[in-house]
Amino acid sequence: MFNSAFKSVEEAIYMNGHGIYVWSVVAIVTFCLVCSFIYYKIKIKRLKKKLDESN
Amino acid sequence: MWGLFFTLEDKVQGNSYRIIFLHVPAAFLSQSLYIAMAVASVTYLVWRVKLAAYLIVAIAPIGAMLTFIALSSGSIWGIPTWGTWWQWDARMTSTLILFIMYLGLISLHSSFNNQEKADKLLSWLVIVGSVNIPIIKKSVEWWSTLHQTSSDKFGENSNIDPSMLYPLIGSIIGFFGLIVCLVIISSKVQIIKRESAKSWVKDYV
Repeated sequence: MFNSAFKSVEEAIYMNGHGIYVWSVVAIVTFCLVCSFIYYKIKIKRLKKKLDESN
Repeated sequence: MWGLFFTLEDKVQGNSYRIIFLHVPAAFLSQSLYIAMAVASVTYLVWRVKLAAYLIVAIAPIGAMLTFIALSSGSIWGIPTWGTWWQWDARMTSTLILFIMYLGLISLHSSFNNQEKADKLLSWLVIVGSVNIPIIKKSVEWWSTLHQTSSDKFGENSNIDPSMLYPLIGSIIGFFGLIVCLVIISSKVQIIKRESAKSWVKDYV
């Protein structure tokens, strides 16, 4: 079940010419999710700071 | 990871099919979040639960992000598979409409000064817009589309090989967990923002 589909790292990156498509999707998904988490974390921090100042 | 590295290469599509492990969860959750928004809208309009209105505003940007992921991953997948990144077929067009709807809801809510009025209008628009969800789902059956028909049967009737189906289910569950976390954080932002005058929020923060 968990046997690697690729023999080497290079093969996993290249994916018989399809690596560019697969990895660009992985990059988009990772970028979107990481940015969202960072954005909300910063927003909560700012709101907390604003509330602290108003107290 | 399971889908990306440990599943066999597809006989027809080659390795590009691995995009399925990101495309399908994003598309599935983008529509599920819209349904959640519609349920929250009804809850807000009928029972006046303020938290439901906050939830709608919290979900919309996450839904837009997921629809963007579904559209962009689908387009990238389309290049090696269909030979084109875009076709105005029913599934793609109705998903694009969903993306535009999400963006419209976000900009509409932020353009109002009166938050209560904005919540009410947003709820009505979400309910009206929910007609697009069955259209997206059934578009591949109702019209002749470039997009393949649905493969959402499980068990013995499934038309996906188990070696691909189980990683796909795992990916959907993983995505679901991440999105639930994002919705909780986003809701927290909305609650602090909208209830900042209340003493309990000050105590909580």
